[in-house]
Amino acid sequence: MATALTSPNAFDLAPVIAELRARRHARESIDVATMTLVLFFEDATLGDGARERVHRLTAKHPARVVVLDASHAAKRPHALTACAAHDACPAARGEWIELGVKGLDADVLRSSVAALALAEAPIVLLWVAAGAGDDARLSALLPLARTTVFGSSALAADASQLREVLAVARAHPEAPICDVAYLRLHPWQEAIAQFFDRKDAVDELFALRHVEIACSTEPEAYYLLGWLASRLEWTPCSEREFCNRFGTTIAFAIARKKGAHPIGHVELRSAATTFRATAADGDAPTIALAVSGALRHPARMRPIVDTGIAALVERAIVTLQHDRVFVDSLAMAGAILESRKG
Amino acid sequence: MSEPTATATTTAAPVDGAATLSNPLRAGMSGEHIGDPCSIVFFGASGDLFKRMLLPAIYLMKLDGTLPSDFALIGFARTPYTDDAFRDYCREQLQTFMPEGQKPGGALWDDFSKRIGYITADFKDTAHFVQLKERLAANDRDLGTAGNHLFYLATPPPVFPVVVEHLRKAKLTPNDNTQGWTRIVVEKPFGTDLETARSLQKTIEHAFPESAIYRIDHYLGKEPVQDILALRFANTIFEPIWNRNYVQNVQITAAESLGVEERGDYYDRAGALRDMIQNHVMNMFALVAMEPPVSSDADAIRNEKYKVLSAIAPPTYAQVASMSARGQYGPGTIDGKPVRGYREEDDVAKDSNTETFAAVKFFVENWRWAGVPFCLRSGKRLARKVSEIAVTFKPIPHRFYGEKTDSIEPNVLVLKIQPDEGISMRFEAKVPGAKDHVRAVYMDFNYGTGFGITSPPPYERLIGDAMRGDQTLFTRWDAVERAWELVMPILDTWRDSKDFSFPNYASGSQGPPSAAAIFEQWRPL
Repeated sequence: MATALTSPNAFDLAPVIAELRARRHARESIDVATMTLVLFFEDATLGDGARERVHRLTAKHPARVVVLDASHAAKRPHALTACAAHDACPAARGEWIELGVKGLDADVLRSSVAALALAEAPIVLLWVAAGAGDDARLSALLPLARTTVFGSSALAADASQLREVLAVARAHPEAPICDVAYLRLHPWQEAIAQFFDRKDAVDELFALRHVEIACSTEPEAYYLLGWLASRLEWTPCSEREFCNRFGTTIAFAIARKKGAHPIGHVELRSAATTFRATAADGDAPTIALAVSGALRHPARMRPIVDTGIAALVERAIVTLQHDRVFVDSLAMAGAILESRKG
Repeated sequence: MSEPTATATTTAAPVDGAATLSNPLRAGMSGEHIGDPCSIVFFGASGDLFKRMLLPAIYLMKLDGTLPSDFALIGFARTPYTDDAFRDYCREQLQTFMPEGQKPGGALWDDFSKRIGYITADFKDTAHFVQLKERLAANDRDLGTAGNHLFYLATPPPVFPVVVEHLRKAKLTPNDNTQGWTRIVVEKPFGTDLETARSLQKTIEHAFPESAIYRIDHYLGKEPVQDILALRFANTIFEPIWNRNYVQNVQITAAESLGVEERGDYYDRAGALRDMIQNHVMNMFALVAMEPPVSSDADAIRNEKYKVLSAIAPPTYAQVASMSARGQYGPGTIDGKPVRGYREEDDVAKDSNTETFAAVKFFVENWRWAGVPFCLRSGKRLARKVSEIAVTFKPIPHRFYGEKTDSIEPNVLVLKIQPDEGISMRFEAKVPGAKDHVRAVYMDFNYGTGFGITSPPPYERLIGDAMRGDQTLFTRWDAVERAWELVMPILDTWRDSKDFSFPNYASGSQGPPSAAAIFEQWRPL
């Protein structure tokens, strides 16, 4: 039963905790839990989508889920349901706690999450809200989380939310964070890396002079460019060019186009060879790899797998540690953005 | 002899004076490590193993993105097919054996199928192996397979030496390959006894160094078997008690409720000891009993597996009777239905003396395990299907707690291999109430509910490892030979002494009563 609130910055968790204890005694709670998953959102529509993905995630990784719904006022401070009872995803397992947190301050949120978290399991924070860079609530929750997952391209197709993630990374360099927009790139990174696995292709990698990425959402494109540049030790030296450490310039371009895939194609060109990776639709999404010019290679196809949010978040939570390559890619994406003043 | 690798450092002079490097884009890349581009040749591609297990595993790797993009498959068998007809055959089999949502179709299937070829071959004809050599070269040129060749022996075992010898004659061995690597995967059984195993090994090593031989035991591809190492060496709490001071006995069981089904012809020449104990069960034994390896390198682990097997003294012929038991199933009832006895099965001799149940008790003579019985058993048509490793700990040294009428049972840690993959622990807990009653309770972890997924098929992992050049989950020759040395006295004794008590256990029972003579505390099935 909800306790009447006398202050918008007060929150009575006692009924929630009592209900959890009662469920445990009634053997309605889970026997295995891998984490406390905290989901924060401000937009109700985004929240519904995020809830569904979290349900799918917990089908594979049982968890205590704490939903911080900042889209509703705290009229009903809590509702506690068992995941198994959720119609949207009968396979999901775990405990599900819904809290209406609109208007509550950062410290109330922090103490609520700390009180509700499972004692022995890590906290994973899914932040589905704009303006992360200067949000005090995020700053309060970050230290609790073993990893914090953002979704910059889900909030905006341009790079505005990527800049927010960058701001968080700069303000909290010690906090392990990741971005679904980056995690989604793994099939592309693998495809591009495969171009240069051959002994005679590695030199072409250092001879690249042009990079072009077509995308439907910009964060992925900036991350991919940032990844490439950070691996090859390029630095942005103008709005449209990198310089390598010998002063040679490499032109780059990001073209926004409508399409079903965040990345539509990637083209890398040296003076003699063109490497092209193109997303193709069909029964299953694939990437077609083609090499033309001086260096030839038979055409190949690779599947685009595990790009659903549940699978991507799973990748983030399974590692639960700083991904150095991500950190470098994000920093480089930031440098590119600053050079473009975009 | 070390294998050349396909992704070695480039030797060409780079532009801009950049240092020669292996692919820098790979640095720090997370995710599944995909093997090198390669051609896989399946000898026996028209057989059952290929269509039911190997082809689906390969296609699943394609769908999962763990198959190298530059990949080719060559079927090599007696059944006549053209390339196109074999592609159609592969599609039909995948349509049958792949689950919904993973049936062949679309761009990925098109890309996969154009990389399938076939050679109608007589295994005894060198000309067909020369044809294979030409096809492999064409794949390297046209499909980017980079000179890497994986030969998979999916034929009946008597054909293994024939194929290997012709590979040697056609100059398709690692020594002949100057472009990439050459490896060979050999299915079990590796020999039918010590002599044939040594003979097969001699034939293979004449053409392939040990570093290029991958002997498959698909049990090692099962997640719960791999979890033995995770449990022992990714946790602190078990290793201090994993020894004779705390362990009473270790039981390793591979029990089936099925009969021989359609394998009567093969099984009647093999029996339970050869079919299961000499390979699958002994591999699990080694993982449970071995010392901690110094690293996760394949040979670091395999060294320890061999070391522990070499600490077991093979039984003398006089000891066989006291450390082994055998049985053969008669008619009975399984899952409520009557079933026939072994001698009534198809392709089984009416007076067959083949054992369908084998139990063995070994002792590891080292400081860790001296005096601890390791009890291994395997059989068909038993009460239920279960594969498990049960570590029973010693009873408490001094009892002061609990009501006098309580029975305090020893702790048992069970690694459940199948069907309910996971781990369970039995321990004593106080019964709530005014008195100090205690009873046994069970702490259970199941892969299915703990991770919400079923384990990936073993062959997907094992074939992928062979492509990656990781031999950890494959058995090395010294361990194979040692396992044969340990069971040969038993096989020889059983061969020479016909057991007139057969059949000696009813289908659906716990096995032959004689098993209790070598060990009294078998866990109930």
